[in-house]
Amino acid sequence: FDRNGPGTSLKLPGTGQGGGPSPAVRPVTQSGRPITGFVRPSTQGGRPSTMEQAIRTPRTALTARPITSASGGYIRPGTASMLTNPDGPFINLSRLNLTKYAQKPKLAKALFEYIFHHENDIKNALDLAALATEHAQFKDWWWKVQIGKCYYRLGLYREAEKQFKSALKQQDMVDTFLYLAKVYLRLDQPVTALNLFKQGLERFPGEVTLICGIARIYEEMNNISSAAEYYKDVLKQDNTHVEAIACIGSNHFYSDQPEIALRFYRRLLQMGVYNCQLFNNLGLCCFYAQQYDMTLSSFERALFLAENEEETADVWYNLGHVAVGIGDLNLAYQCFKLTLVNNNDYAEAYNNLAVLEMRKGHTEQARALLQTASSLAPHMYEPHFNIAILSEKVGDLQRSYTAAQKSEEAFPGHVDTQQLLKHIYYFATLIFDRA
Amino acid sequence: PDLPILERKNWLIYLLYVRRDYEECKAVIKEQLQESQGLCEYAVYVQALIFRLEGKIQESLELFQTCSILNPRSADNLKQVARSLFLLGKHKAAIEVYNEAAKLDEKDWEISHNLGVCYMYLKHFNKAQDQLNNALELNRHDLTYMMLGKIHLLEGEIDKAIEIYKKAVEFSPENIDLLTSLGLLYLQTGDYQKAFEHLGNVLTYDPGNYKATLAAGSMMQAHGDFDVALSKYKVVASSVPESPPLWNNIGMCFFGKKKYVAAISCLKRANYLAPFDWKILYNLGLVHLTMQQYASAFHFLSAAINFQPKMAELYMLLAVALTNLEDTENAKCSYEQAVALDKCNPLINLNYAVLLYNQGDKQGALSQYQEMERKVTVARESSTPDFDPEKMVEMAQKMGAALQVRESLVWTKPSKESKSKQKAAVSGKSSSQQPLGSNQALGQAMSSAAGYGKTMQLPPGAATPALPKKPPSLPLEPEQEQDSEMSPEENSAPTGDE
Repeated sequence: FDRNGPGTSLKLPGTGQGGGPSPAVRPVTQSGRPITGFVRPSTQGGRPSTMEQAIRTPRTALTARPITSASGGYIRPGTASMLTNPDGPFINLSRLNLTKYAQKPKLAKALFEYIFHHENDIKNALDLAALATEHAQFKDWWWKVQIGKCYYRLGLYREAEKQFKSALKQQDMVDTFLYLAKVYLRLDQPVTALNLFKQGLERFPGEVTLICGIARIYEEMNNISSAAEYYKDVLKQDNTHVEAIACIGSNHFYSDQPEIALRFYRRLLQMGVYNCQLFNNLGLCCFYAQQYDMTLSSFERALFLAENEEETADVWYNLGHVAVGIGDLNLAYQCFKLTLVNNNDYAEAYNNLAVLEMRKGHTEQARALLQTASSLAPHMYEPHFNIAILSEKVGDLQRSYTAAQKSEEAFPGHVDTQQLLKHIYYFATLIFDRA
Repeated sequence: PDLPILERKNWLIYLLYVRRDYEECKAVIKEQLQESQGLCEYAVYVQALIFRLEGKIQESLELFQTCSILNPRSADNLKQVARSLFLLGKHKAAIEVYNEAAKLDEKDWEISHNLGVCYMYLKHFNKAQDQLNNALELNRHDLTYMMLGKIHLLEGEIDKAIEIYKKAVEFSPENIDLLTSLGLLYLQTGDYQKAFEHLGNVLTYDPGNYKATLAAGSMMQAHGDFDVALSKYKVVASSVPESPPLWNNIGMCFFGKKKYVAAISCLKRANYLAPFDWKILYNLGLVHLTMQQYASAFHFLSAAINFQPKMAELYMLLAVALTNLEDTENAKCSYEQAVALDKCNPLINLNYAVLLYNQGDKQGALSQYQEMERKVTVARESSTPDFDPEKMVEMAQKMGAALQVRESLVWTKPSKESKSKQKAAVSGKSSSQQPLGSNQALGQAMSSAAGYGKTMQLPPGAATPALPKKPPSLPLEPEQEQDSEMSPEENSAPTGDE
């Protein structure tokens, strides 16, 4: 399989055909992946390349939930839900004679779902499913899908693929398409997954989940313009689709159309979504769309609704931007400080504080803050670039050069970085070095 | 058997180094060093050069120090040690080592040049100038001219800098950096003809040059050639898509062509990319005033004032916005501030006079009007080239008539459009130009100014009854605008976008 042709893999960020805003406009999560408008539990913003790196990066940087060593999130201690019999488990799995239950399809399906979803005992579930599909003489697609799910959970992607494909031959189901695409994405074959989704759309024209899947893949591949197209298709079918609205909204926001983004977010508000992030976004859109009457009240509401300190930090950070926008640098300083009080690992806030310190002329503080920012978020180009120009000004070309190189790595198309590198290179080496 | 000669592979090392075959070169060096037990001076030297090319200056410093231990009589080795120190930002130490090296070799321009640059970083400008002049006497070099010019600019002596750059351009007429710097300096002093010449030269050598294009474009804008300027900008926009000055200038081009919405979106993009740039905020405020969106205009202008509190025009525009937001008290304060800060812009006084008149304060209006006349006379005498506000003359005449000021001999210009005076009340925007754009050259500014005139309507009730001879043509509020210093904007301002 072709793994790494440009634009065919999810593992190389920035391989998309562009069409999206650059990191100078839209913030990124890990090198090159722009932040999305909607966080799903399966969102992966870039992948760590080594185990060591995965351990050292913040635990929420790559998925929507804190990372664990294996998918241990699935394992639950079986206590809380045992309402029928508070003294012990409902069924003792090891005592079951799976062969017997596999003979009775009505019982077997319910039992399988219990084992798979409640007990989370994949091995036993797989045993039961294998016996049952044998009993059904391999003619029941449902069992095949379940076996595929078990394989997928166990990490046997190729086997899972076989089961899903054979199930698709028997019966077209949206579910099966989605599972198969999931397998392909796990195998890092987004183009195959796309083709599959398009096949699925031929069978089920206008199926929202399929279109949405296509859009997500395009978004992961950084092909923002195509993603936006498909999200729009989603909205044509289902105009209350929260994910599509949020994604299109954030796209508009980052492509200089805050007014339109504002309309999308207000639509979410009309639909009864009521949380901190939405009001945060509304506040930002209002400010950049010059609707000053709604701005601060939205942010106030967002602060009120914030459920944890990270969210509070986000709101204060954005308030800091508003303060910069009205030119009140003292207020901005306080806002960024409050961001850091609420979330000590907020690299962007460190960077912006450093810029403010620089404006006051406190070079050393600025440098320290920038160092913190760059070690917290090595994927952001701003702190590296700022360190580079700061050092260049005082004449420390060594440090400037290394920082500029990191900046170049984080955002390869950045013109100012390239000019700086060229300048340093010219200035530092070429002219006077004669062998 | 013959004893191994220490330096016998130097030719190969040299050849590989100058061909930039660094991998191969390192291998040979390693071999040679093993053979000679680290005594081969040249191998160490080249290894250090390669390290420096890779940006590992600390390592290269150590190797050069080894070299100078191996051969303490060589000025070259000391020079390289000093240079590594310089690149690490240790300027004082570098100066000491350079002085050592100068004792060994007195006729070397490099030593003088680098001493000059080190002194420049330490802010000893006099010593730096001496050293650089010395370097020029020994051997003329583009870079030395550059540094010398830079020092003059740092000390604020533009004329001397121009002289230096002139000599430099004579010496090497195809150096783009020199030409650009000189062109920008001419622009700054207002010598558009020469500026255009030099920048044009730059563009012939390098058609996609960002700085020159920006500067040339802003000059065209100053003369109203918006389409030509736009086509210039189009050339660079693809190579530098995220440059705030570029988007600022493009926005002002659209503004000149009366495409206000496009102008606003370009300017807002520029502002998003550079939230601390007061010029962009100023322009945004101006465009919103034109669009009669006073709340937004107030917002942008007050932000610009926060970043640039010493500019009279900003306070004037803020006052105009405030007047339209029905906050006359603050508008008056703002005008007072503007008048206090301003030296030579008559528009401020005119606007203030109109406000006072509309408030019924004839006395105050009169004094502002006289102040304006004084400034106009001064401007006439010094014949500032960018003083051409026809609309202003017209407005002033009306004002003068309304105030019964007879001695309007200052106004010799016939007002052609006197018929349309009543109409002017609606909102006659006249030629509006607004070139702007910061250029990166050496942090300097060029100025191009243009007048922008515009009339706006006041609430009709504001016209006072005491209108003697002329028919009531008073609901007016001229507000014009001119500007543009362009500032020291190098992209050195670190931008912290989200």
